[in-house]
Amino acid sequence: MKSLVFVLSCLMLSFACSKEKTFDEREINLISPEKISGFDPINASDRYSGNETGKVYEGLFEFHPLKRPYELMPNLAESLPVVSSDGLTYIFKIRKGVLFHDSPAFKDGVGREMKASDIIYSIKRLADPKLNAKGWWLLDDRLVGLNEWRTKNSTTENTNYEEEIEGLKKIDEYTLQMRLKKPYPQFLYALAMPYTFIVAREAVEHFGKEFLNYPVGTGAFVLPKFEQSSMITYLRNTKFRDKFYPSEGEEGDDKLGLLADAGKKIPLIDKITVHVVVESQPKWLSFMKAKDDLLEVKDVNIQQTINSKKELKDEHKEKGIRLIMKPMLDVTYFAFNHEEPIFKNRKLRQAMNLAFDRATYNRLFHENTAFDAHGPVPPGLGGQTKEFKNPYIKYDLDQAKKLLAEAGYPGGKGLPTIVVQTRSDTISRQQIEFFEKCMEKIGINIDAGTNTWPELVNKVTKKQHQMYTMAWGADYPDAENFLGLLYCPNQAPGSNGANYCNPDFDAIYKQATIMQDSPERTTLYEKLNEMVALDAPWIFGFHRTDIYLAQAWLKNFKHMEFNHSQFQYLNVDLEVKKQLSKKF
Amino acid sequence: MKENSLWKDAFRRLTMDKWALGSLIIVLIYSSVALLAAMGIIAGDWAKEVGASNMAPNGDHWLGTDIFGRDVLSKVLRGTQIAMSVGLVTSLIAIPIGVVLGALAGYFGGWVDDLITWLYTTFSSIPNIMLLISITMILGKGIFAVYIALGATSWVTLCRLIRGEVMKHKEREYVQAAGAIGGGHFRKLFLHILPNVTHIVIINTSLQFQFAIKSEVILSYLGLGVQGEPSWGTMIDDAKLELSRGVWWQLAGATTAMFLVVLAFNLLGDALRDSLDPKLKGK
Repeated sequence: MKSLVFVLSCLMLSFACSKEKTFDEREINLISPEKISGFDPINASDRYSGNETGKVYEGLFEFHPLKRPYELMPNLAESLPVVSSDGLTYIFKIRKGVLFHDSPAFKDGVGREMKASDIIYSIKRLADPKLNAKGWWLLDDRLVGLNEWRTKNSTTENTNYEEEIEGLKKIDEYTLQMRLKKPYPQFLYALAMPYTFIVAREAVEHFGKEFLNYPVGTGAFVLPKFEQSSMITYLRNTKFRDKFYPSEGEEGDDKLGLLADAGKKIPLIDKITVHVVVESQPKWLSFMKAKDDLLEVKDVNIQQTINSKKELKDEHKEKGIRLIMKPMLDVTYFAFNHEEPIFKNRKLRQAMNLAFDRATYNRLFHENTAFDAHGPVPPGLGGQTKEFKNPYIKYDLDQAKKLLAEAGYPGGKGLPTIVVQTRSDTISRQQIEFFEKCMEKIGINIDAGTNTWPELVNKVTKKQHQMYTMAWGADYPDAENFLGLLYCPNQAPGSNGANYCNPDFDAIYKQATIMQDSPERTTLYEKLNEMVALDAPWIFGFHRTDIYLAQAWLKNFKHMEFNHSQFQYLNVDLEVKKQLSKKF
Repeated sequence: MKENSLWKDAFRRLTMDKWALGSLIIVLIYSSVALLAAMGIIAGDWAKEVGASNMAPNGDHWLGTDIFGRDVLSKVLRGTQIAMSVGLVTSLIAIPIGVVLGALAGYFGGWVDDLITWLYTTFSSIPNIMLLISITMILGKGIFAVYIALGATSWVTLCRLIRGEVMKHKEREYVQAAGAIGGGHFRKLFLHILPNVTHIVIINTSLQFQFAIKSEVILSYLGLGVQGEPSWGTMIDDAKLELSRGVWWQLAGATTAMFLVVLAFNLLGDALRDSLDPKLKGK
């Protein structure tokens, strides 16, 4: 009975609290549109897990929150590394005074200082064969001795972390040397990705299998325990080192108020609450009731957001809501499985490209906010030029029929029904239905194979498909990340799920990827992009646009492709929130 | 006073009930729509683009158009064919299984009964929708899998009812008499007992139909049902995304169609029970 009274009084208390809205808590509310698989950096393979991991953990480098084009800046590293003239040896200076979060894993529960050995441990952990990390590809065949160490430990009972690896050497507590097997110009980008975030060995060993639910990082926010629920609450890390809001950014950032907090110590807020909401409608309603501060607008809600001129609708403007629209570094495509004999026929592939009605698709599914992909590389990365127009991505049924006949399948005769593997959600089903209708017009029969996301990934990895649909988002701002999708050695289970092989392409790719960023490399990238575009290894889709809505009181939000490190810079204007909240 | 036969009498009582008659007419209409759609006489060109995308209901298209500009009414009619065919085929699968197993269990008792009772209690202890999903996962998606999945899961109730009824009947005098003049098990069970429990089968078919229709809609809604054909379930799934844009007609069309037929089968099932169950006679 006593406990019942207690429960009741708690309930009443919570009602009482929710009624009176107070505006003194420096809190922001965000949405994660997917469930988070856990907080283990080495497995943070999707964007949303990366975003959550990035609130707690940090890497040696991070992308500058304001500067564009994207620029790396040292984070846990004190400065950019000293690189030897052959581009193979990197010397990193580690920042002093960086503390891990307090955790029962440490002696007396107090977080200790992060040192060079933690970085070595974290990288070895990514390579640990027993953990089978999703991010291993990033460093596969890169560091001297790391692959050998991995192979050696795959048969032993326990992984030997004590063994020194030639490519990963501690010089002193704050100095680290890494040695590459061959030049890897994207190496520093790799050290800014969630996969290489720094973890503490004590925490990994203390929590064991539960480690993914007890994040112990060095970041601006702490999360003592992650529970798979609809809400994740992060609190400000009170022991966070002196880290300051940047005082320079891109031109125009000043006018947008993005430099108002320049030089201030971050984080500027006390709490971040992330609501996990998968369905689009509840997300939209929750933002429109000012329960959330930022909304990533997807397919179905685009029409409610912008008018035909692609401007924010007046009803939102009145509430002070801001619209942020930026092209994404991504590409969507329908991939052929090039191991299927029929798809070795280039003319068939080109014909199918010509028969795909991109304009209607863009209108139906992206509200005309996406851009036609002429090749794999999206605009904004060196390797893509405005001048290059892929002749096979226009909608031309006559030409398509002609090519199909030349391919040996006049009117689609002789072709089997082609099964396209896709996801089973509503939008994917409608999209594939549209694709079916397009192909039907030139006499090609398409069937849809619907899958859950893991099923689809599994089929692609095992090459059990004829065609599949996919979107690829940049891991780092380098065209190599997109061109690699068509590099023969990256075949499934690698990222080249189309299993496309073109020796001419591979030769130039191999040459380009070990070059440092230079005009010569960009020229090679352009050549690769155009060469592969004309060969039609996929049916090219779109480069999409990121659309965000931000409440007026959310400060310092700038569109960022690699946004896992961005949240520590956000701020909230409580005065504005108080005034505007009456309008909601 | 002249007594009508059981069936004539039942039919008379059924037609006296206005609701039952209405339901019967609705079921007949749905059946003819399904038949005509199957023959391609109506809604054969449902896949054709007839207008702009998401057109509101108007004189030409009474239920508007969907995202690809297809006539929603045609999709509803075509969906009727899918729904009714699922009802029919699953009944054809489930009823023989239920009747035969129920009759065997009730008549022979002993270990046969134990085995069959164990089988159906095991089946009914698994949540229905979970079982459906796992069967469609194994068989692959498509209408064939839906037939099998629903047929294989929905015989339990009928089996249980028939078992109880047969148990009751096998002790009756007419069965004993049949035995006394030399009738074997087969003769007693299938020629004497079964005709006397047919009313249960009829009532159950009506309920079986609406269960199958509802389940097909749920499976299609989850993306596990029919592929590449309109189903009420996929239409409701589409509507999930469209409602926020004010496109309500797909949802309205599909749910109304489903509501009417499910209600009709339910009412009809009730009325059939009232008119066929001898115990309720004269009430």
